[in-house]
Amino acid sequence: MTQALATTVVVASLYALLAAGYVLVYRATRVLNLAQGDMMTLGGYFLFLAATSVPGAPALSVAAAVGLSALSGFVIYRLLMRPMAGHPIFAAVLVTVTLGILLRAAIVLVYTDRIRHPLPLLGLANPPRRLPGGAVVSTFDLFTVGVAALLFVALFAFLRLSPLGIQMRAAGEKALLAAQRGINFQLLFALSWALAGFAGALAGTLYASNVRLDPSLGVLGLKAFAVALVGGLDSLGGVIPGALIVAAVEVLSVRYGDPLLADVSPFLCLLAMLLVRPWGLFGTKEELERV
Amino acid sequence: MSLAGGYFKTTYDGDLALVDTRLRRVTLAALVIALLALPRFASPFALDLVAQVALAAVGALALNMLTGFAGQVSLGHAGFIAAGAFTTAVLVEHRLPSPLFALPAAALVGAALGVVVGIPALRLKGLYLALGTLALHHVVLYACGEFQNHWGANTGASIPPPRLGAWVLKGTTAWYYALTSIAALVLALSVNLQRSRAGRAWMAIRDREIAAESVGIDVARYKVLAFVWSSAITAVAGALFAYQRAFVSVEAFGFFVAIEYIAMIIIGGLGSSLGAVLGAAFVTLLPHGIDAAFARLSVQGGAEYYLFPLKFGAFGLLMAVFLVFEPQGLVGIWRRIRNWFFLWPLRYRPLRPAS
Amino acid sequence: MTAAGVVTPLLEVENLEVVYHHVATAIQGVSLAVPPRAIVALLGTNGAGKTTTLRAISGFLGADDAQVVSGRVTFLGDTVTGRPPHEVARRGLVLVPERDKVFETLTVQENLRALVRGRHAARDAARPLVTLEQVFHYFPVLAERGRQLAGYLSGGERQMLALATALLCRPVVLLVDELSLGLAPLVVESLMTLVARLRDELGLAVLLVEQNAGAALAVANHGYVMEHGRIVYDGSAERLLAHEDVREFYLGVGRREGRKRYTEVKQYQRRRRWF
Repeated sequence: MTQALATTVVVASLYALLAAGYVLVYRATRVLNLAQGDMMTLGGYFLFLAATSVPGAPALSVAAAVGLSALSGFVIYRLLMRPMAGHPIFAAVLVTVTLGILLRAAIVLVYTDRIRHPLPLLGLANPPRRLPGGAVVSTFDLFTVGVAALLFVALFAFLRLSPLGIQMRAAGEKALLAAQRGINFQLLFALSWALAGFAGALAGTLYASNVRLDPSLGVLGLKAFAVALVGGLDSLGGVIPGALIVAAVEVLSVRYGDPLLADVSPFLCLLAMLLVRPWGLFGTKEELERV
Repeated sequence: MSLAGGYFKTTYDGDLALVDTRLRRVTLAALVIALLALPRFASPFALDLVAQVALAAVGALALNMLTGFAGQVSLGHAGFIAAGAFTTAVLVEHRLPSPLFALPAAALVGAALGVVVGIPALRLKGLYLALGTLALHHVVLYACGEFQNHWGANTGASIPPPRLGAWVLKGTTAWYYALTSIAALVLALSVNLQRSRAGRAWMAIRDREIAAESVGIDVARYKVLAFVWSSAITAVAGALFAYQRAFVSVEAFGFFVAIEYIAMIIIGGLGSSLGAVLGAAFVTLLPHGIDAAFARLSVQGGAEYYLFPLKFGAFGLLMAVFLVFEPQGLVGIWRRIRNWFFLWPLRYRPLRPAS
Repeated sequence: MTAAGVVTPLLEVENLEVVYHHVATAIQGVSLAVPPRAIVALLGTNGAGKTTTLRAISGFLGADDAQVVSGRVTFLGDTVTGRPPHEVARRGLVLVPERDKVFETLTVQENLRALVRGRHAARDAARPLVTLEQVFHYFPVLAERGRQLAGYLSGGERQMLALATALLCRPVVLLVDELSLGLAPLVVESLMTLVARLRDELGLAVLLVEQNAGAALAVANHGYVMEHGRIVYDGSAERLLAHEDVREFYLGVGRREGRKRYTEVKQYQRRRRWF
């Protein structure tokens, strides 16, 4: 039983990292970035790029990977999402879908769809560790949990306490009013996309080191999306319980039911939530009418 | 539809006619003759392409009914196609391979699925609706996957060619005629639905749901109706897929297929039957166009390898370009050209309420 | 201030013309000026073009498929027509909008911090130094409600929060859109007196767009009246208050029998009414 608990926490942490990206982008621009999974894959491949260029320097490679991903998020907003500002939201969401397609096509063009493992190139290993209680997890599983926890603490502090964070929340609520108060909301929107890229890259580098790297990792993004919805699309705090719930359902259904259920169970949670409480556990109800 | 001067309608029948001006009648007749005579002049490859376009158009028209007319965003289109295809597979498994059973059964299954999706959809709007349909798509695929694992062969189930009595539907030309006539029927259905009471109700719901409700339109009923019509037709398209490919497998119905259909109606022009057909043609022919361009350039080495991601990427790029620069799609471009000629030497139409 | 004693206005609008959707003219030939240390009232009924004028001044037209086709807006000597709104605000031309004036999901304290002043605001002597203490001095209720979500404030409190946040941007000219909307008469009166105090104590210049002509003219120095996208009356507040047609159509005082529709009035036919 403790193994199931440990696995749940690990899976939840990965989902939480991805879902944070969804929530950040949604709060700022009211757009669902369905390419978040592919941005995670991009982060993983940036790590691979850095690892193959400068082997044996893990800190540098990780920094390069997350930095490049954040920059990509920024650029994606300026080039692709900003022109969609006046268009209906559904069109903007479709643009993110096409972005995912483009990212995946670009990755396959450069790196083919062979499975890669950047970890040996970084000069690191991933030995299993035994937790008190008998559960076994890998080292990078523990890293994933730690990084997710750190990211959330940092995001909370940033959004609640820092002036830039308050401006970002203000711009996300009413962009026009923010502009009337001198806030350059376009810059802040681009910044939120950069943060989403950053969070996605954290997930991508961790997953690539822990499991594997191939262009189809984007499907994890769709599953993490169910997490964001269960928690509430505009609630960063809701991501944590949402991730735990979805991860628990997934782990338990695989253990006691059919292994094929792993891919479907997040969507079952999503459906259940949509039927019972569409705005999620901690989302605001008014959001439902906005879109 | 706006008409240039000179056409006067004097009877109700004339006003209701689908093809009203002489120019349109002549064009339609020419088109029909061209389509009938095409097999004489075109290669089997080209005929097969047109058949594929026709089949895609059926699916696109159905999605356009749901998303274009009624404004209900659906990302689960591939699920409905899979449902129709797997209904056929199930019937084949139970020794009922005739299309006389399969097509109506697929339509029924599609309609039932439409009700199952449509009723919860009443509570959801916009993005949340899209996500709900996406989730349902995964659930349907899971069910189909289970069927495939337990009853079909591991990679899929094979379907014998459809047989109506003694006559077997086989061969490129036969499929070409069958699919284009079915597509023509569905196109006529779509255009007529748009002009009907249901169509007007859908468009009212799409434009401003609260206002539609306040003028007495039964929003719930019409929303579910939109889902039912759309998914029934889509399931029939799925059954036709199954028969034409002679093979049914879950892998063929991933999320990307749904994106392809959405691209078709967006690139073609949302809310327009013509747009759905144009978009279906564009999206179906695009990979072949890229193939032809590649062959023309005769790139060396292992370049064929790059073809797949390039086609994939080109598709995404074109969809993005249309979304950003031409939200009204190919129909929008056509209308702009037509209006330029209509309005010349003036430049702008008189103001209409914002659409 | 020029040598001849003529005061250079802080904000000047010259012959502004705004067109919607390429075909519909919203305002035409609109010229007005806001001198320092003054309240200027811009009056008119619904649809007269007051909000369009404000939007053109503060840079918000782009969202509505509207364009400035001629004329310009000069602020502190620089042309600001067509500049992005956050830039206009940072220069000291701050708008208090008619609707959506506070951030409802932020607390009052966070609202008062959700602003950016512009790089030179601290050094610029022309921009009044407004501190948080001063804001709480003018609006004591905000100090009491510091941690409350702005969405739960009453209408009058929201207006005060909106004004307070605008003041913290250290404005040189404050544009106020429909201050009295939805507020009880006593609250309106107290807010107007407050605006007059801000003019006197902080040296603020205010462009007050109002439907409530009486309340606005009570505190204004100068007034303009717009009808159908043009300025039809222009004069000091005393003159406007005494003018027969303004009294009848905008202040609601004057003869009731034989009341004319304002389109029949001779002055309506003329382009501009000079006193």
